[in-house]
Amino acid sequence: MSAPAQHGSAFGVQAYARVTSPHLRVAVEQATYAYEATDRSAPKFMLGPVTFEARQSELVAILGPNASGKSTVLKLLAGLEKPLSGRVQIDGTDVSSLDLRTRAQRIALVQQESELLFPLRVWEYVLQGRYPYGKRLRFESDEDCLFAGNALAQVSADALRDRWMDQLSGGEKQRVILARALAQHPSLLLLDEPTQHLDLGGKVELLRRLRRLADEQRYTVLVVTHELNLASEFCDRIVLLHKGKCRRVGTPGEVYERELLEEVFEAPLDVERRMGRRPRVMLREMD
Amino acid sequence: MRPLTPKRVALVCAALLGVLFVVVVISLRLGAYPISVADIVVTLVNGALKHWDRIPPEFSLVVFGLRLPRIALGIVVGAALSTAGAGFQALLRNPLADPYVLGVSSGAALGAIISLIATPHTAGALQASAFAGAMLTITAVYFLGRRGGQLDTATLLLAGIITMSFLSAVIMFLMTTLSGRDLRGMAFWLMGDLSSPTVDLRWLFLVLIIGVGCIYTTASDLNLILTGEKEAQHLGVNVQRVKFVVYVAASLLTGLAVSVSGAIGYVGLLVPHVVRMMWGTDHRLLIPTSAIGGAILVVAADTLARTIVAPTELPVGAMTAIAGAPVFIYLMRRRMR
Amino acid sequence: MRRGSYQRTFCILIAGALFLGLPGLAAAATSIAIQRENVPASPARVVTDEVGRQVSIPANVKRIVSLAPNLTEIVYALGLQDRLVGDTNYCDTPPAAKEKPRVGNPVNPNLEAIAALHPDLVLATTSINRVDTADALEKIGIAVYTSDPHTVRGMLDSIAHMADLMGATEQGKELVARLRQRLDAVQARVADKPLAHVLFVVQEQPLITIGQNTFIADALRWAGAESVIISDHNWPQISLEEVLRLQPDYIVFASDQGDSSAHEVADLRKRPGWQGLDAVEMGHVIDISEEVSRPSPGLVDAIEELARKLHPDAFAKNGRARTEAGAGQFAFAADSIRGVAQEHSSCAR
Repeated sequence: MSAPAQHGSAFGVQAYARVTSPHLRVAVEQATYAYEATDRSAPKFMLGPVTFEARQSELVAILGPNASGKSTVLKLLAGLEKPLSGRVQIDGTDVSSLDLRTRAQRIALVQQESELLFPLRVWEYVLQGRYPYGKRLRFESDEDCLFAGNALAQVSADALRDRWMDQLSGGEKQRVILARALAQHPSLLLLDEPTQHLDLGGKVELLRRLRRLADEQRYTVLVVTHELNLASEFCDRIVLLHKGKCRRVGTPGEVYERELLEEVFEAPLDVERRMGRRPRVMLREMD
Repeated sequence: MRPLTPKRVALVCAALLGVLFVVVVISLRLGAYPISVADIVVTLVNGALKHWDRIPPEFSLVVFGLRLPRIALGIVVGAALSTAGAGFQALLRNPLADPYVLGVSSGAALGAIISLIATPHTAGALQASAFAGAMLTITAVYFLGRRGGQLDTATLLLAGIITMSFLSAVIMFLMTTLSGRDLRGMAFWLMGDLSSPTVDLRWLFLVLIIGVGCIYTTASDLNLILTGEKEAQHLGVNVQRVKFVVYVAASLLTGLAVSVSGAIGYVGLLVPHVVRMMWGTDHRLLIPTSAIGGAILVVAADTLARTIVAPTELPVGAMTAIAGAPVFIYLMRRRMR
Repeated sequence: MRRGSYQRTFCILIAGALFLGLPGLAAAATSIAIQRENVPASPARVVTDEVGRQVSIPANVKRIVSLAPNLTEIVYALGLQDRLVGDTNYCDTPPAAKEKPRVGNPVNPNLEAIAALHPDLVLATTSINRVDTADALEKIGIAVYTSDPHTVRGMLDSIAHMADLMGATEQGKELVARLRQRLDAVQARVADKPLAHVLFVVQEQPLITIGQNTFIADALRWAGAESVIISDHNWPQISLEEVLRLQPDYIVFASDQGDSSAHEVADLRKRPGWQGLDAVEMGHVIDISEEVSRPSPGLVDAIEELARKLHPDAFAKNGRARTEAGAGQFAFAADSIRGVAQEHSSCAR
């Protein structure tokens, strides 16, 4: 059960009221979901009531071990599924009630990989992010080019503009994919385990970039991850999920409690808390 | 950053139309009947002005009765097949897809054979029957190719290949019951034959425009879908609807082409690739240029087919392969840089 | 943005108009033009051809194009070769036909070449020509008469009809009478003989023979033979086993003119399966002219040849009966005269 009130969060119970704050981007209220697993012997998967919010310029982590329901939350946020009960709102409107194009204008789901069938230039790829604006059969306007150029700049990929997509390195490609999402000019950026295939340097670089985007460009970024320390270091808020249940929502300091984390991640852990610094999680020494 | 503009589309298309025009003029000039370019021009002009009495009857017969219909049919078939090819390559996410991979041509061939057995002497029965066969196959493959109620690329491809194999088997069985003369006719049909347009060309052009137009409306969508279906969906593309429209339109175009001219090969496969190599993969340009490019290829191939070893006529399908493949190889090598 | 979308629509409209315009004009012009072309040169009559098509044929047929080898033969047999202005690549009987202008293959003739010859009448046959060709020629105003012979008698009727159309009724009657006489003569000889059971081989590998309803089956019957295979399919594929079971009296091949050595009995004896056939063992393998499959005057030659080889005893005596077979231009008739001369000289009285 989510219990933000327990930790004296300023958002508290007011979160359940109608959205009034202009900075509130995402509001998830008591959202539930369930689906039958394809294998008959496995039980139905239930995503218990989840409640949290995210605001402008915030970087939020949906944190939890495998099969905790993180991807399901992401699907609800992206409007790919409708919650069984409760609400998932963006800028005050139910996500699932938006039509595809409007949804694409507000929410950008950033993929990890891009399998291209035919060769494409970087700028062509990024320009595709402008699709949700304008008619179905459209030719890009100068405004579109402007947005695309900005998006490339925001991820420091301007120099890659004329390169072929299949000739980019992994990191470069990821930046370009991110740029396309940014070209959508969304309110919300959703990323599903973006650090999965990156090395440590890559992971840090990505999170730094996301942090910068949130701070400077005022995006709201939601990242699904299981990386405890990265989440702690870069995120404003953590939504901790465990077996479909929302265990806790709050700042890293509020969420990272040793017993809780050990229970959720089923591993012997130590949580290091220092004054004025974000908590850090380590494996406990095993005897 | 130079995004595609309508002006560029119009320019490239106009240039290609110019090439098509030249090919048409050359094709009008060549043939067994002796008629000079001047005579052709005079005939065409008088025809356009409807001064029928000013045209000598033999010229009218050759130009309007034989050559022009054949050329017009070649344009329709070439445009239809290459557009369908481009559409299927996008739909099936497979650069080796051609318009026949989903079994449409086998269905048409089956219709043709049944008509040869049942009504061998009725004019136009072959074409109607072939078209009916094509439509039935399209419907069947559509329903077989769904997964969870929606068109799934891999399932569709599989459904198409299975249907094609099954229909081929039925065709082979039926061919054993055909007498010798019909078998010969069937063989020519299978190789592709533009010499007998018995369907009103105006209808053909109408269906062509509708089919190409429908696919063109999904051009932007296809660009996105080719970077991934899920990605396209997240960008706001109604992927299911686009797949449906492309499937129906491309299949319709293929069915149309095959019913009136048999199974001319390589056009649907090669032309989109050649066009891609020259002008990129943006479907907003690819679709119209494939159409015009296909028209050029088929008219050129047919002209060669009927003049190279005159009076014998070679099958068009053989010429499209012979003409198309070297061009393709050349372009491919150039791209390897 | 709005200005851009107008521009786009405009450009697309222009492109569409161009794309449509040129060929569309052509297409429209075509269908109108053709309607005005069906004006025959001289007064015409409308006949129904053998496949049920209404054909408008000029009263004076001066220029004829033949689209099949058998039709070319018929034209020559009727003595109308001077009016034959074009034939197909395969027309080589009689050899003079090779000199005529060619219009392509029977299955896929060059329509323009035909049109360039300005024919009054084009002859086609269902046994080798396509409906599409006839349709296309009709569409440009050229009269096409399609014959559809299924039996030998049918062929004779067909010859009579065609002769009539071409203004050679008398020659037609004469030719038909001659052919009928020869056929009747053969029939007379073999009528009281038991039918020879033969296997007519259309193709060896895979083994294909003829069905009951084919022209060849009918020709066989005239020659006093019958196919051992009874089938409604026109070209049934059979297994050698079946033949071994049925053990035909004779194996008949119809080969190309120059290829008659292809089926040496010695070769067949070496082949597995074929060895087991009594007919092969006894050397009862016959090669006849491929004219047997062609509805033309040469067919009668082939029937006579076959009858002679199948029922040699019916032809050995009674040389007089042979001379009654009549004079004709064909090889067998010449042979028969020579044969009679030899006999009479050897039977020196």
